[in-house]
Amino acid sequence: MADATAGTDQNPKTGSTADAVRASLARRNRKQRTVQVLGLGAISFAFLMLFILIASLVSSGYHAFTQTHITLEVFIDPEEVPLERLPRGGFDDVLEASLASVLEGVDPNDRATMRALGGLLSNGAQFRLRDRVVESPDLIGQTVTMTVPVSDPYDQLNKGLIDRETPEQHRRLKDFEIGWFDRLNASNAISKPLNTGLISNPDSRFPELAGLKGALIGSFWALFVCFLISFPLGIGAAIYLEEFAPKNKFSDFVEVNINNLAAVPSVVFGLLALAVFIGWFGLPRSAPFVGGMTLALMTMPTIIIATRAALKAVPPSIREAALGVGASKHQVVFGHVLPLAMPGILTGTIIGLAQALGETAPLLLIGMNAFITSAPSGPFDSATALPTQIFIWADSPERGFVSRTSAAILVLLGFLITMNAISIYLRNRFERNW
Amino acid sequence: MMNDMRKIDRDTAVSDTKIQARDVQVFYGDAHAIKDVSVDILDKTVTAFIGPSGCGKSTFLRCLNRMNDTIDIARVEGDIQIDGSDIYDPSIDPVQLRAKVGMVFQKPNPFPKSIYDNIAYGPRIHGLARTKAELDEIVERSLRRGAIWDEVKDRLHEPGTGLSGGQQQRLCIARAVATEPEILLMDEPCSALDPIATAQVEDLIDELRRNYSVVIVTHSMQQAARVSQKTAFFHLGNLVEYRETGQIFTNPEDPRTESYITGRIG
Repeated sequence: MADATAGTDQNPKTGSTADAVRASLARRNRKQRTVQVLGLGAISFAFLMLFILIASLVSSGYHAFTQTHITLEVFIDPEEVPLERLPRGGFDDVLEASLASVLEGVDPNDRATMRALGGLLSNGAQFRLRDRVVESPDLIGQTVTMTVPVSDPYDQLNKGLIDRETPEQHRRLKDFEIGWFDRLNASNAISKPLNTGLISNPDSRFPELAGLKGALIGSFWALFVCFLISFPLGIGAAIYLEEFAPKNKFSDFVEVNINNLAAVPSVVFGLLALAVFIGWFGLPRSAPFVGGMTLALMTMPTIIIATRAALKAVPPSIREAALGVGASKHQVVFGHVLPLAMPGILTGTIIGLAQALGETAPLLLIGMNAFITSAPSGPFDSATALPTQIFIWADSPERGFVSRTSAAILVLLGFLITMNAISIYLRNRFERNW
Repeated sequence: MMNDMRKIDRDTAVSDTKIQARDVQVFYGDAHAIKDVSVDILDKTVTAFIGPSGCGKSTFLRCLNRMNDTIDIARVEGDIQIDGSDIYDPSIDPVQLRAKVGMVFQKPNPFPKSIYDNIAYGPRIHGLARTKAELDEIVERSLRRGAIWDEVKDRLHEPGTGLSGGQQQRLCIARAVATEPEILLMDEPCSALDPIATAQVEDLIDELRRNYSVVIVTHSMQQAARVSQKTAFFHLGNLVEYRETGQIFTNPEDPRTESYITGRIG
C-alpha cells in the first residue's frame, strides 16, 4: 500500500527523517573523532610518562651494571701474613705494597700516602685475598694475580661521574689520586666488567660491594609465604561466597567489606602485622615469613575478587549440564566450574602477587628495611625485600648508591613485567570459547 | 509426510502414568508463573508442551527434575509424583532425582572435555560402572542411542565442543541417557539447530520413546505434531488443554488453543 504512493508524491515524514539524520550525522561523527583523539592523547601521554621513567632509570642505572676492577700482582709477604696467625694478617698492607710496586714514586714507608693508596681498593679486596689465602695457605710467599673491585670514588671517576674540572678542594679525589688512577689505567690494570655482584652480593655499606642477593631471596620467601597463605584461603573464600553462601544481608555485608579490604592502604596492614604478628605472636622482626603474612593480608582480597569474577564468568549452561546429569553442588563446582575458572584465577593471583612484590610500606613497618649484610637462609632469617632495599639505597649518602638504586628499580620492574607477561600468557593460552 | 505422522502411532496402549502433577504453583518472587497445573504424563510416550513465550512451559518442565531449586527466588507448591512418590518430599535428594530424570537443554552444552568423558561423567559420578570395560560399554551404548556413534567412534577422545551444533545436541542427549534415566526432559532441544540436524534429533526422540517417557518443550507446533503423542498447551501460566496430539491440532476444545495453533496469539 505504501509502495503505491511512494513513487508519486514524496512522503514528507521519510524526507524529514533523512534530513534529520544527515544534520545530526556530522555532529555524531565529530563526537566520535573527539573521543578517538582524546583516547589517543591519553595513551600517548601514558606512554610518554613510561618512557621518561624508564629512560631516567636506565640513564642513571646503567652505570651500576658494570663495576670498575683492578688487576694486581700481589706478593703475599710471609712477614705481613705469617702462616700461624691465619686467618688474621696484614692483607691490606700486602695489597698496598702491591699497588706501590706498580706506581713509581710512591714511598712505601710514608704511612699517609700508603693509606690513601689503600683507599683506591674496595674495602672488600683484603677479605677476598684473605679468603683465598685461608683456603690454600701454601700461597704465602708466592705472587698471585687478583682482580678486585676499586672503591666507589675511583669507580665514579672511571665512569666519568667525577668532573675533573672541579676545583680540587671540592672534589672527592685529589689530583695525585687521579694521577695514580690514570697511570694504572694506562698500564691496562683497570677493567670494567659486567657487575655480577649486583645480583650475587648481599647488601654492603660500600656501594662497590653492595648487591641484591639478600633482597631477592627475601622477596622470594615473602612472596612464597604470601602465595601459600593467600591462594588457598582466597580461593576458598571466593568459592564459598560465590557458590554456597546464601544471598542475604550478611553475605552482602561480607562482600562490601572484602571490597573495602582491597582498598585499605597497605601501611595499615603493616601496622596490624606489627601489632599482631610481632607484638602478640612474638614472631621475629624483619623476617620474610612475617612479610609474607602481611602481604597475604593485602593479596587475599585481590584474589577473592578475581576468583569470584572468574567463577561468575563460567557460563550457566555448564552448571546446568552437570546438574542435569545428577552432579551434586560440590561436584559441579569442583569438577566443572573451578577448572574452567582457573585461568582467570591464576591471572588474578599473579597480578596480586606482582602487586605484593612491589609493596614497600607494610614491610618497612615490620622491619624489613634493616641493614643486613648476609642473604637469609630461610624465611625466618632477617632479610630485606626488593622494594625495601631500594628504599635503603635511595636513602644512602654514598654516590655509588644513586646508580644502584636505579638499577635495583630496573630489576624490580623486570620481575613485575615478567609476572604480568606470564599472567597475560596464561589468560590467552587457556581462554575458552563456547 | 507430516500428515501421515500425525495419524500413525497415536494409540498409547501402555498408558501407565509416569508423572502425576496436582495443583502445581510456581512463584518467582512475587510473580505467579505457574497456576494450578495438574497433568498426568504417561510412560513410553512423547509429551509436548507448547505455548507462547513466557507461558510457563519451560518453568513447569524444570519442576519435574527440580532444576528450579537452583534459582533462589523460585518457589514450587503443589504435588508432583513420579512413580507414586513425591519428588519434593524432603527425603528425596535432587541428585537422586536427576539421575532418574535426565535433561537436555535448549543450547547444546557439552562439557569442555572429550566426547568419551562427556558421556562417562554421569556414570562415573553415580558409580554405574565398576570397570573400564563396563564404562566403555556404557559410552558406546549411549552414543548409539544418541544416534551419533558412527560419527564419533573414531574420535572419542577429541573435545566434545569441536562437534557441529546438531552433533553436540545429540551428544548431550547421549549424555542424558548414559545414566539410564526413566524420564527425559527436553527444553527446546532443536531451537539452535538447522532443519537437517532437527530432523535427526526428532528421529532420535521417536526412537527414545521405546525406553523412556519423553517430555519436550517446543516453540514449533509442527515439531510437536511430528514427534509427540500427547500435547499440553500452556497459556499465561495455565494449562489450557492437554490431549492427544492429533486431537489438539485438528479439533481443539478451547478457543485459546485454537487461536494459538491457527497463529492468532503467541
